[in-house]
Amino acid sequence: MWFCIEDRRKLFLHGREDYTAAARAAEACPVFREDVEEEWVTDEARSCYNCRLRRWTADSFQCQGHVE
Amino acid sequence: MKILICIDDTDNLESRGTGELAENLAAEIQDRKWGHCEFVTRHQLLVHPDVPYTSHNSSMCFAANIDEQHLPNLIERAEAFLAEESAPGSDPGLAIAILDRLSDETALIDFGRRAKQVVLNKQNAYDLAAAHNIHLSEHGGTGHGVIGALAGIGLRMSGNDGRIKGWLRISASNGVAKVADILTQFNLGGVRTINGEILAHDDLVVVGEKPKAVFLGGKPYLMVSPLAEADTVRWQTSSRRELKQF
Repeated sequence: MWFCIEDRRKLFLHGREDYTAAARAAEACPVFREDVEEEWVTDEARSCYNCRLRRWTADSFQCQGHVE
Repeated sequence: MKILICIDDTDNLESRGTGELAENLAAEIQDRKWGHCEFVTRHQLLVHPDVPYTSHNSSMCFAANIDEQHLPNLIERAEAFLAEESAPGSDPGLAIAILDRLSDETALIDFGRRAKQVVLNKQNAYDLAAAHNIHLSEHGGTGHGVIGALAGIGLRMSGNDGRIKGWLRISASNGVAKVADILTQFNLGGVRTINGEILAHDDLVVVGEKPKAVFLGGKPYLMVSPLAEADTVRWQTSSRRELKQF
């Protein structure tokens, strides 16, 4: 499980430093969208950490993607 | 005269990034022959529930050397550019500082550093800008981007903050480049490690994918990290993960 719902938002459960989990979550995600280059924080393109739809928080990120 | 131009909060989830807008504005300044623009730096600001931002809260700044007579036109055009190009729902802010006319850099640098640590408000930004004759304007939405725009000016002035937008297309032979050759290809302060060690001109570097430079000591530096198994080549370009701290 990659996300939980907190205050009606999807919060990534694995923090800001779990690159394996972020890549796996993105691999399985139908709405992944690569962010602009300057906002990448990891070298593998397909990672939730490089996704335009992630919104960083102090400890993790919220996913702003909506899967129907 | 040398000026700094910084923009913030111009995007939404569907639009171009703020960095691309900064590059486009810089290109337009040059096309109009108002002056020469330098590279764009990205400055990370505070990520906090009380700070409105789209996804990462970073501002984009560049320096320009312009003829003084063009300054009024440049400010007018930069304002119109942000109003035209910023995305719906964004809160764009523009800051333009004339470096020769600043009496106290310390307060601006301090503002930039505080914007990475605490929640600031628009009045803080407008008060500081007025005290230092800095152009600060908002161009839609809540205008909260003025905080990040002014903070980006301070952080760029500090000389020690942010990554350079884009990456270095380094010519390499079998994936390896000599530091001296890298320095002839790009206008860098040098090639250095995260710990501050400056590489010698005859050092060799394994060139990874999309190597990045960081703004340190007032110059862009290509960042490298030690190879786990070093032979004649001891260094590789630093990964994005390693550069996240900048």
